[in-house]
Amino acid sequence: MEKPDILPGGYRAAVWRNFKRNNLAFGGLCIVSALIVTAILAPLIANNKPYIYVSEKGVYFPLFFNHSELKDADLRSGAYPGFKIFPPVPYSPSEYDLSFIVLPPSAKHIMGTDEQGRDLASRMIHGTRVSIFIGFIAVFLYVMIGIVVGALAGFYGGKADMVISRLIEIVMCFPTFFLILTILALWGPSLLSVMVVIGITGWTGIARIVRGEFMRLREADYIVSAKAAGAGDFRVIFTHMLPNALPPVLVSAMFGIASTILIESSLSFLGFGVQPPTPSWGDILSQSRDFIDFAWWLTLIPGFAIFITITAYNLVGDGLQDAFDPKSVIHRR
Amino acid sequence: MKKYIIKRLLLMLPTFFGITLVTYGMVRLAPGDYTQLKAGMDSLKQGALSQEIIDQERALYGLDKPIIIGYAEWLWKFVRLDFGDSRKDGKPVLSRIGETLPVTITLSVITIVVIYIISVPMGILTAVRKDSLFDRGTSLLLFILYSLPSFWVALLLLTYLAGGEYLDLFPLGGITSDWTGNEGFFTKAADFMRHLVLPVITLTYGGFAFLSRYTRANMLEVINQQYITTARSKGLSEKRVVLVHAFRNSMVPLVTLMASLLPALIGGSVIVESIFSIPGIGRLGFEAVLSRDIPVIMAIASISAFLTLAGILLADIMYAVVDPRIRLDGKA
Repeated sequence: MEKPDILPGGYRAAVWRNFKRNNLAFGGLCIVSALIVTAILAPLIANNKPYIYVSEKGVYFPLFFNHSELKDADLRSGAYPGFKIFPPVPYSPSEYDLSFIVLPPSAKHIMGTDEQGRDLASRMIHGTRVSIFIGFIAVFLYVMIGIVVGALAGFYGGKADMVISRLIEIVMCFPTFFLILTILALWGPSLLSVMVVIGITGWTGIARIVRGEFMRLREADYIVSAKAAGAGDFRVIFTHMLPNALPPVLVSAMFGIASTILIESSLSFLGFGVQPPTPSWGDILSQSRDFIDFAWWLTLIPGFAIFITITAYNLVGDGLQDAFDPKSVIHRR
Repeated sequence: MKKYIIKRLLLMLPTFFGITLVTYGMVRLAPGDYTQLKAGMDSLKQGALSQEIIDQERALYGLDKPIIIGYAEWLWKFVRLDFGDSRKDGKPVLSRIGETLPVTITLSVITIVVIYIISVPMGILTAVRKDSLFDRGTSLLLFILYSLPSFWVALLLLTYLAGGEYLDLFPLGGITSDWTGNEGFFTKAADFMRHLVLPVITLTYGGFAFLSRYTRANMLEVINQQYITTARSKGLSEKRVVLVHAFRNSMVPLVTLMASLLPALIGGSVIVESIFSIPGIGRLGFEAVLSRDIPVIMAIASISAFLTLAGILLADIMYAVVDPRIRLDGKA
């Protein structure tokens, strides 16, 4: 007898179909993808060197190779005639010009300039890297810790569960933001310390989810039969149980990335985040405080970027939550 | 009940030790200590500080002892409610906490009340008109509010609504104006309220989404129960069905949430208090962290840990009080 095809293409395809149907969530995914591409390609989008420079002396690719004869040359000036193709934003994020400070957006600087005459568009584009990078690495770190700890507690139960549950409770009671601030103030703020601190304090939510799913699955028939067939603990945990616990973990990770980006920008705002000259949105916003009464572009643009990024991740998380729901997977075909 | 509370209080002890020990260890293990910082500043002012004085200072704050002994000494003082003196200004830490904690708690309580007043009715309305344009519009709006970074909003509110650059509706910061002392109670109260408007807006708007969604989900669960159908078929008005029969039963989790909101708000007060220059515990903590004021850092860490634990316990007890089906002592 042929089985009725309830979910054509399987569970994943059904989840994806469901997700795509949710316009807001799909829009969020598009924004997230665009941000990731921007972060990866930042030096190609905003740079003061041209992709290609053709002069009488030859053909150069200053952005990709270090040509010794063009070292320190500003190819944008008229002193270098010839054919040039520049990136869309022809400024590097650290390049400053003190004769053009705090200028509103114009054709030359599409997002204006900051207090040191640096191009804001270029700093925003390079700042994407910090937000995206910190979000991914910190959350990856705590998802890994959470999965291992939660799996141990949920799979073995008993004493292991008791010890781990207490540990989770202790970490959860930490005043997290204050703790992060203390660590960064005492040990020195840096990209690495921000990521590590968020990573080691954030895992409790994931651990609780995984623990709960494992507790529920532990007595399931297919797990008992896998064990009876001689599968080792490692195999049962990672190939049989973990895939079933992943959907809620993924949803939680998406919300986690959103809140990590918020924490990072708050820390940068207080001066404890990524240190200059590395451009970060929170830092740009923090610097803008001195000119806030007239330089609206320095406040609105980075703030809006943080807001859009957080919203996009939250929308993706929310959409995934709906899409993973087994009821909606089957019924909303 | 009594037995349960005692058991829970005992279980809180290891958590409390864990949090304070980790905080103490972290402060002690950090490179460079307060005495070096202070010695460095003093030597700029009046020539090099002798090693003898540095040693004295280290001994005074227990920095010359191993971490475990130093922690034990801190703990022994803590048990006797002796938090020591702030290293920054030499005032007793307890009096600094006494000045700042009430400010933060007042702000947090007002925030919680505002969040509940706005989001509970919103949750009920969206549940009643499920999937309507109103429902979807509200949930999108709340979602956007939830994603707005609070320090950005605080900055914008201050720029455009306070100070007089654009509008001069609210004061720029602090919690009171400078008074001569002759003003009446109502003038002072009104002034206090005016100072709190912007901080409260900043603290509340992000909380609407969570609580109203929570209310909506709970209402939807209750509204499909059979006794609601019964109430309707008895001919009761829809208003009565929703507010009396449905809402009262969906209230249980709402009550318990309140207890866990308070510690979260106190933890999150660092940014808002710094931006609005509110003399609360968040700003005290921020300043203590900046100046490596160990007695103050330790006091704030232990107080917020205590409040969090108390909040969780209170939530569990309230759960049992409002829902008679829940028995805490395990005899079902």
